[in-house]
Amino acid sequence: MKLKVLPPTLRKNNRYLTVDIKIASQIDKDELVSIIWDACIRFKGECETSNFNLWVMKFYEIDRCDDYYHYKAIVRCQRDFVSEVRSSIALATRHNGKSLAMSTIALSGTIKASQKYI
Amino acid sequence: MFFDLNIKGSSLENNIKLAIQASDYGWEHINFSYNQNEFKEALKLRDNLKDSLDDIIDFDYTLEIKSTNINEIRKHANNFRSRASCISVVGGDLKVNRAVLENIKIDVLSRPYLNRFDSGMNHVLAKEAVRNNVAIEICFKDILRTYLAPRAKVISNFRDLYLLYRKFDFPLILSSRAESVFDIKTVHDFINVFTQTGLTADEIDKSFKTSEEILKFNENRQDLILKGVRRVDDEA
Repeated sequence: MKLKVLPPTLRKNNRYLTVDIKIASQIDKDELVSIIWDACIRFKGECETSNFNLWVMKFYEIDRCDDYYHYKAIVRCQRDFVSEVRSSIALATRHNGKSLAMSTIALSGTIKASQKYI
Repeated sequence: MFFDLNIKGSSLENNIKLAIQASDYGWEHINFSYNQNEFKEALKLRDNLKDSLDDIIDFDYTLEIKSTNINEIRKHANNFRSRASCISVVGGDLKVNRAVLENIKIDVLSRPYLNRFDSGMNHVLAKEAVRNNVAIEICFKDILRTYLAPRAKVISNFRDLYLLYRKFDFPLILSSRAESVFDIKTVHDFINVFTQTGLTADEIDKSFKTSEEILKFNENRQDLILKGVRRVDDEA
């Protein structure tokens, strides 16, 4: 049996970050999930990361340059922890020994609005 | 205005790449930094860079002196003063930190905490920084390129600097020291990281203004006779 959906007043408030990703090797969505979780746990710790309510909603492959693969993603986080998530994501620098750069280029209240920045 | 006074300069192509990326991420002015040995060569690239980056982003050059010899630092600062819009000296050595903060011809003491177990600053040096208007530079790259214990120590050093900054109010500037496109972040990410380390939004705004003021001050430095006295051409 499925749980009944919570009423709006009891739901968590979310924000959607549009993240710009540059990485020297090819990745898929699952790898991005682990990169983001590792970055948050490394910078803010396990206890604080538990508040973030992180979820990778969408993942897009944009193009491939000489130096890096370029991806964009929409990442959900809890409203009051946007600053913590942004800073943690920005501080991820390596994945499997390859250079990595992630930067949040937009912040929206809905997935639809955040897709404008893809 | 979002200013970054320390982006590591290299070849023309790489500089253009970095500048375009910085512009995309919301930066409005960047300074390419070169050390004393490369600075003269770098000046030759200026016209080509200007043509390529004309409508994209403002840029200028920072001379970054890296030496532990105080006389050498003074000599380079005097030599390049008229040609560089900003002169910074890489800190870390206590003698260098002190000599730089006592020298009014130098604009920035970059990373006084470098390779140290403390912040490299105390109340005496903080007062000298205020007296001679020498800014202390904190680099984003020091957080970005370290991890675990070293990163915690760097952030701890930053906090010690913030403590002195709040008490003595010396000029503080924040810069990225990016070497590749992987090191450049959006302006908001940059601000958020420093907010997480303990700076307030107002203090971060002030640091960008300080960077702007350094560049403006150096535009008119040749006309400066004494501190507070400037030669003006305006007849009225």
